[in-house]
Amino acid sequence: MSRRALRKLVNALALGLSGLATAVGLFFLGAILWTLLRSGLAGMSLQLFTAMTPPPGSAGGLLNAIYGSVVMTVIGILIGGPIGVLAGTYLAEYGRNARISGVIRFVNDVLLSAPSIIVGLFVYELLVVRMGHFSAIAGAVALAIIAIPVTVRTTEDMLNLVPQGMKDASTAMGAYHWRTITSVIYPAARSGIVTGLLLAVARISGETAPLLFTALNNQFWSSNLAAPIANLPVVIFQFALSPYPNWQQLAWSGALIITMSILVLSIAARFVVSSLGPGGRS
Amino acid sequence: MNEEIPEPGRAPEEPQARRGGAAREGNGLGREEDGAPLTRQRADGGLNLKPSGRVSVPEEATQPDGATVENPVFSCRDVNVFYSGKQALKEVSLDVGRRQVLAMIGPSGCGKSTFLRCLNRMNDTIAGARVTGHIHLDGRDIHDESVDVAQLRARIGMVFQKPNPFPKSIYDNVAYGPRIHGLARSRAHLDDIVCSSLTRAGLWEEVKDRLSSPGTGLSGGQQQRLCIARTIAVQPEVILMDEPCSALDPIATARIEDLIDELRESYAIVIVTHSMQQAARVSQRTAYFHLGELIEVGNTDRVFTNPRHRLTEDYITGRFG
Repeated sequence: MSRRALRKLVNALALGLSGLATAVGLFFLGAILWTLLRSGLAGMSLQLFTAMTPPPGSAGGLLNAIYGSVVMTVIGILIGGPIGVLAGTYLAEYGRNARISGVIRFVNDVLLSAPSIIVGLFVYELLVVRMGHFSAIAGAVALAIIAIPVTVRTTEDMLNLVPQGMKDASTAMGAYHWRTITSVIYPAARSGIVTGLLLAVARISGETAPLLFTALNNQFWSSNLAAPIANLPVVIFQFALSPYPNWQQLAWSGALIITMSILVLSIAARFVVSSLGPGGRS
Repeated sequence: MNEEIPEPGRAPEEPQARRGGAAREGNGLGREEDGAPLTRQRADGGLNLKPSGRVSVPEEATQPDGATVENPVFSCRDVNVFYSGKQALKEVSLDVGRRQVLAMIGPSGCGKSTFLRCLNRMNDTIAGARVTGHIHLDGRDIHDESVDVAQLRARIGMVFQKPNPFPKSIYDNVAYGPRIHGLARSRAHLDDIVCSSLTRAGLWEEVKDRLSSPGTGLSGGQQQRLCIARTIAVQPEVILMDEPCSALDPIATARIEDLIDELRESYAIVIVTHSMQQAARVSQRTAYFHLGELIEVGNTDRVFTNPRHRLTEDYITGRFG
């Protein structure tokens, strides 16, 4: 066999294998989405968004769970977002060459891939045990801890993408570094940072394990942050395991709602990138 | 303008310059040990040296000659720069005169940009960079502990090789400096500063109807003029330009050069350039750098028509570099 034919064969083989791997991955993704859509859409109704989670056997919706999820996600990102952005700013701007930065990056990467149930247990010890009961705020803190490493990483990456020439220009104008960061670097990296925050929201809005140990669940409407609160992931978890058909149906619909909101968030993130531009044009 | 430029070798008659010269001689780093007699010798007969005998020690002492000017805005003595221990600039002593353009030429990596970045302490921002020697701005050591580096940089404008407008509107780009330094008394005053800066940079007519559109949307030459407008908006004393035209086409380059010529009436300008034609066109003094050393500096006409050092001659005649 000539060398050329061999190369063609190897090329065809590589192409075929990578194509196959892609197809397998996409098949399962498609299968999950299809099952979700088929089963979830069956339970879609207005009642889903207006009624509370019902007792077994009677009709109801997911309003309290949706509300609880939104509240905890928002508080979680409000706590975790600023911490993550500021820590990312430190890594990219102030401590770029500091030895401690390497340690922070490493720990952050560990935290990024740490099982979220451990974060749940940590907050359980930190807040739930001391407060004596589960609470929405404990759930929000757990979500914040999960959001921090994601935000740190994306913020640092995005700030590093800002051209050095632009930073130099501001420095040479006689701007202090904080001024350069707030007036030049943040605006330039705005779309990237916002995208990172949106992806962090997407990440924490589907987390179940940390909420099991912190927010627990609530059959009823509650807006008390110091009390247990209903939330979609835990409701799905409980209802899907139950023997009652109406609960199972609600779990499917809840799963569809979460998936769709994450999809919308991801699309929004892409839209933010394209509308603000890669350089963050204002 | 040219009256202000002392003839090479005559400068040491000035008290201030002599102080600098004394410091150099006192430093006594081997090659300069016989600097004083040589300087004197060159003052009366140095110009008549034939090109043939120019490679050895006497030429090394060319550095002090013409390196000083009367009443300099910048006075630099024995400046060394190390990047992570590697020496990028060796014992450079050079003055920058007021209301004139000093061009710095030399092959890539010769230290001319490094020297430029010493003047506004931009080397401070590079990890592992170390600067030694004395750099005085208006007689004050810029490395003095009492000097606020941000305030220092506000007095020294810098234009970079690649146009680097901020991701802001044209107006906000020019208003950036006045805003961070609190130079504008009112909104109307800020408008004035922006307008006059853009006018001086020759950009006003082109952008006056779209001041709120992004500065990054301008063409390369316009962006560079925007950067110049941004620089002069804070009324610096010196403008440093690091190959400001290397990313521009010939027409845009010609516009920038005209602009440099106009700005020279108010500012001291130091320009690094790879184009010898540009150095000859825009500057009154030219300094030639080679491998981190200042080889020769003097009146631009003199350097280009009658270079004293063979390295300079080789470079400007295109034999290497």
